[in-house]
Amino acid sequence: MSGRRTLAITGRVLAQFRHDHRTLALLLVAPIVILGLFALLFQTDARPAVLGVIDQDSGPLGAAMVQQLDASDLVTTHTTTLDLAGPALDAGDLDGYLLLPADLSATALASGRIAPELHLRGTDPAAGAAISRAVTTAALAAAAGLAPSGGGARLPQVDLAPIYLFGGADLKVLDLLGGPFIGLIVFFLVYVVTSVSFLRERTLGTLERLMASPLQRSEIVLGYALGFTLVALVQAAEVLVFSLWIIGLHNAGNVLLVFGIEVLLAIAAINLGIFLSTFARTEFQAVQFIPLVIVPQILLSGVLVPVANEPGWLQVVSNVLPLTYAVDALRAVMLEGRTLASGDLLLDLGVLAGFCAVVIVAAAATLRREVA
Amino acid sequence: MAVEAIDVRKRFGSLTALDGVTLRVPGGQIYGLLGPNGAGKTTLIRALIGLLTIDGGQITVLGGRPADSDVLARTGYMTQAPALYGDLTAEENVRFFAAIHGGGDVDAALRLVHLEDRRRSVTATLSGGMQTRLSLACTVVHAPSLLLLDEPTVGVDPQLRVELWGRFRSMAANGTTIIVSSHVMDEAERCDRLGLMLGGRFLAEGSADELRRLAGSERLEDAFLALSQAAS
Repeated sequence: MSGRRTLAITGRVLAQFRHDHRTLALLLVAPIVILGLFALLFQTDARPAVLGVIDQDSGPLGAAMVQQLDASDLVTTHTTTLDLAGPALDAGDLDGYLLLPADLSATALASGRIAPELHLRGTDPAAGAAISRAVTTAALAAAAGLAPSGGGARLPQVDLAPIYLFGGADLKVLDLLGGPFIGLIVFFLVYVVTSVSFLRERTLGTLERLMASPLQRSEIVLGYALGFTLVALVQAAEVLVFSLWIIGLHNAGNVLLVFGIEVLLAIAAINLGIFLSTFARTEFQAVQFIPLVIVPQILLSGVLVPVANEPGWLQVVSNVLPLTYAVDALRAVMLEGRTLASGDLLLDLGVLAGFCAVVIVAAAATLRREVA
Repeated sequence: MAVEAIDVRKRFGSLTALDGVTLRVPGGQIYGLLGPNGAGKTTLIRALIGLLTIDGGQITVLGGRPADSDVLARTGYMTQAPALYGDLTAEENVRFFAAIHGGGDVDAALRLVHLEDRRRSVTATLSGGMQTRLSLACTVVHAPSLLLLDEPTVGVDPQLRVELWGRFRSMAANGTTIIVSSHVMDEAERCDRLGLMLGGRFLAEGSADELRRLAGSERLEDAFLALSQAAS
């Protein structure tokens, strides 16, 4: 063991960093970007679930429950009507709505049962649980407040049998995250493989040969995209089969639609890989785009924290990133069972397709004939 | 003229790579670009194939402009390092380069460089010299009218080098124009005409005999050194 030889290696490593400012900058900048995003995403407490309330109770219990719910930290309540509540639940403006029937007080008095009608959206297990807990607590507190002083009255029983619009009681957090992750995994892996292999074309000098041939830049980009898309199709199918039939992810929608979204994401990743690799000189630098371009996109896509929970300016960023639309589309299909008849889903798919078109053109435009 | 470059200039930042180069090569000629590293040989070749935009001057190649796709379809360019797909077989490499140039005789190209028995070998497993030969096969597979060869025989053993030059000769006899850069003087002897480059310009031009006479030396190597010294 020679200290001098060891230090020679150390010195060389440091010298390389001195010559590669980009790597050094990445080491210092990337953690700030990623941790900063984490802080922004998770600094606000979870957004309270949004509950619509329709109070038709002819007795006092309904009003007392509404008062208790208004004071709850678990939910934000909105007074609504039956006509409005259904569509709002479908659109995702409400996580659930509570119908307090005309005989709520009467039934409670007669049988000791408090039985409101609870409708849950069913796509977010955490929101559903918060609403159920808030309603139960409010019912018990309201009943206790109305009970004649002096005690003796037996505690009423709260009967909640939530009616789910989508999903259901057995929907797990896995189902909420799993669908979007199908897309994110395909996007991430396809990006890495494409950008590195395109960079190899540059570093091995074969790109120079291609440029010295009658090939048009658009032919190179399209040919590449087509080749990688075919491989990505196989990967997307494998991921889908594994997710749905081995892991058993909840899928309420059309499998082909899920596959279609995966394919759009793969095409976007391929062309993003080609496009960004024109800004890198080595495979090493292409991989460095991952913490700066890919990870923030995943964080901001709404997969972990809903976009609506982000600070306003960050929502603007999320809303221009293609992954956000992919996550939304995958949830719309897999959790809500949406079809192409849904305007929101069409918007998501349109944005993804538009992004693909933009990066294909950008990749062809940035591929310069002057390779060196 | 197969190739005509007039007063070509190219700068990379503060470095003048081509400083007013004029070159005329008629069809069927083998033209040798000689000069030390950094003389501008590679830059000139890359300008002729349109891989870099020149800052001044004019270039006409096969009657068109460099980088015109019909010009590129009739040109073969061999880079200094053998730029090949290492994970493809020898034959797959040649087939690919034939396809992007509009087709060619893959078997003939492999035979030319004596790699017909290694056609199924993965390129990365070939020796350095074999890769250089394969690179040449990829360059000539589409039977180009103009060959631009950037130090094509580096790492090739003397026997094969003699043979390759024989092939270049017969291609030239069939009308192929060849511009070849080298700093191997015995190769220079085989060219119809030579240009000695230094510092991005031509010091002298002529046949090997003419250059020797000009410098008053017996050997081409001495002639080149004498001409370089006289210039600086």
